[in-house]
Amino acid sequence: MKKLVSVLLALLLALGMMSFASADEPLVVTVLLPEFTMDVDFVAENNPILDAIEEATGVRLQITWAPNENYGDILNTTMADKDLPMLIAATDARSPLIMNSARAGAFWDLTDYVSDAENYPNLALGDSQIYNNISVDGRVYGIYRTRNYPRGGAYYRSDIAKEVGFDKEVKTLDDLTELAEALAKYSDDTYALNICSYTAGTISFITVAYGAPNNWGVDENGNIYPAHLSPAYLEGLNWLRHLYEIGGIDPNFAQISTNDWNDIERTNKAFMRFDCLDNAYRQQEWFENNVEGVTETIFAQVGPLAKADGSITIWPQNPGFSGEILVTKSVKAEDMEKVMKFLDWCNSDAGISMLNLGVENVTYWMGDDGYRIDISKLPEEEYNEKSNAGKQFLHDLNQLNMGVSYHAVEPAMKLSESRQRFADLNVELAPYAVLDPCYPLVSQTNIDYGAQLSPIISDAAVQYIAGIIDEAGLRAAWADWAAQGGDAMTQEYNEAYHAAQQ
Amino acid sequence: MTTKAIERRAIHGTGKQYWRRLGNEVRRDKWLYFLLLPGLIYFIVFKYLPMFGIVIAFENYVPFSGVLGSEWVGLKWFNSFFRFPAWLTYLKNTLILSLMNIVFFFPAPIILALLLNEMRKLRYKKLLQTFLYVPHFISIVIVVSITFVMFGPSGIVYKATQNLLGHAINYMGSPDTFRWMIIGQTIWKETGWGTIIFLAALTNVDTQLYEAAMVDGAGRLRRLWHITLPAIRSTIVLMLILRMGSMLDTGYDHLILMANPLNRSASQTLDVFVYQQGIQQGQFSYASAIGLMKSIVSVTLVLGSNKIAHLLGEQGLY
Repeated sequence: MKKLVSVLLALLLALGMMSFASADEPLVVTVLLPEFTMDVDFVAENNPILDAIEEATGVRLQITWAPNENYGDILNTTMADKDLPMLIAATDARSPLIMNSARAGAFWDLTDYVSDAENYPNLALGDSQIYNNISVDGRVYGIYRTRNYPRGGAYYRSDIAKEVGFDKEVKTLDDLTELAEALAKYSDDTYALNICSYTAGTISFITVAYGAPNNWGVDENGNIYPAHLSPAYLEGLNWLRHLYEIGGIDPNFAQISTNDWNDIERTNKAFMRFDCLDNAYRQQEWFENNVEGVTETIFAQVGPLAKADGSITIWPQNPGFSGEILVTKSVKAEDMEKVMKFLDWCNSDAGISMLNLGVENVTYWMGDDGYRIDISKLPEEEYNEKSNAGKQFLHDLNQLNMGVSYHAVEPAMKLSESRQRFADLNVELAPYAVLDPCYPLVSQTNIDYGAQLSPIISDAAVQYIAGIIDEAGLRAAWADWAAQGGDAMTQEYNEAYHAAQQ
Repeated sequence: MTTKAIERRAIHGTGKQYWRRLGNEVRRDKWLYFLLLPGLIYFIVFKYLPMFGIVIAFENYVPFSGVLGSEWVGLKWFNSFFRFPAWLTYLKNTLILSLMNIVFFFPAPIILALLLNEMRKLRYKKLLQTFLYVPHFISIVIVVSITFVMFGPSGIVYKATQNLLGHAINYMGSPDTFRWMIIGQTIWKETGWGTIIFLAALTNVDTQLYEAAMVDGAGRLRRLWHITLPAIRSTIVLMLILRMGSMLDTGYDHLILMANPLNRSASQTLDVFVYQQGIQQGQFSYASAIGLMKSIVSVTLVLGSNKIAHLLGEQGLY
């Protein structure tokens, strides 16, 4: 026994000396991030951006990329492994596995760090409401990834609209209807609204615009109710159903893959879409680069839409953030300060620029006018070379960007008309955003059967729009939803909501 | 004591005797038993040891806490499933698909094997067999994509039926056609591959029987009915018993690939439920509990159908 103890002590001593000797070595931090750039591989060795991050923070990032399409599945299977990466980007902060793992102690409790303005000034700039939204049993386990909320919106081809005789600004829901009806008449093989098998966004946009709540609402008595019970929800569906009836929607929209969504607009098959508004300037740029003769802005982004009574409600597309960065217990207690300092740096001006843009003259370039160069405007060969550098070195490092300090990405690019409009709309739409009151709340029924229940509502909506079922069928599906657990879910949310209000 | 047990005792002897004899046999044929070792180790390490993981079906398993550290919840997940009012729908969808599979897909390889067996030109037969095996090696993702291209709203089959019937059949977007599409794809993909085992059984048929039958004046159909089919009957029964074991298995990848908002109601089977809970929701315990339940039913079905086969005078699985 004594021998064993002395051997162990010697080992410990050796380990201690090793860590002492390596004090100048950077701390290696393993990270799991979603990957969007699939055509070019990430270069981990001699990567100027990782080098720059290491120089600034003393942290060497070791990144595992997982394809975004099935990131959720990969994250769930990763969590089944004992050897977790130190930092994990969780795209869904409310998944049962993440919450259960947090309760079981898989992640460090960051509650005290995010309120420590002295040592972690950038993290402390975060929105306490959102920190509350991602908390588990009142404790914060992650740093949320900021998104502008009013990203959800409508955009349309203004040139086509002019051709069919619609030439005014869309300011009310009636204008939108008029526009959609006009676009529907353009030609027999084209459609007004571009909609695919991902229908949730389109339906949320139009129902919320008509005044329905975002997933869940609070009635005048302060009780939670599901969005489809609001009369405005049906009005929104009727809007789509009407458009479908007059030939404004592809009859086979439910079978169109999301991968073809952009192509439908690019091949002039449909002219209006309800989706993330940033897609409007992306499509605009694609047309400018790929279609001869496009120089003017042809993708018009719709601003606030007034209902008949003049009020405005907007579907925000997200709750102000998209997932979070979790710090797992793979980080040793003595390294916590260093890792948290690193996360704080990521939220500083320098960190935000680094994660979004990289290093000057490697992944971004400055023009003579003091603005960052838009490389998509460069000749093809130069563009390819430069965009390739970005894909290799910066890759999708912006997935680690949290931005809780709300600092802007500097240096800025000179905004095109389309991008400027998007930036302005973000500010203009923000006050009208309708948030989901149940987002931070937990319902056991939702955890147990949520995956089975939610398609009942969404599939019925699609079938109603496509004229397969009538209003009675729609109401039957809602009753089915309620009987199978929807009522229990509503009750659980109500209890949780009232408990949280006190 | 049952006759079986008496039989066994007569062959192997009782208790001690049995073990002594086994020991002698092992010593005598030690190299043969040595050859058995890798297989044995494989089954212990990869099949038997992981079975202990099944305890997570009775826990609220959190990977971070591990199998031993997770909270014991007993039958909570089983209760959870049966409290879900739609669980019967999931079971119904599973059984309908399985029955359709047995009725329409199961006989297909047998019929094809019999047809191949009747072919005279050996070289042509071999060539044909090779072509028939190809679909098996095509990923289900590709099969579904091909189906979409052909049967989807802009596909050639869709257009053709539209012109012929005057109205369109929404092959890819209706719960009624969903199951037929699934069965059709399975038949297209697996029939050729399924013939292998029946063709192997057919090679064992004594050719003298055919000659004798021909002398007696039996035509082709008579020979097929009285010689070929009885010869492969035990193989067919064996395959049917094995199929029973996967009665509740519908697979999930094929169904998820084919499902969309218009036909989803027909695609919700137990396997899809396990996928939704286990992989999408990260509820490993819940998914394991449903999986365990399925396995118990499967074992019961295999044992039961084996018993029936015995009663009907067939050899069965064992």
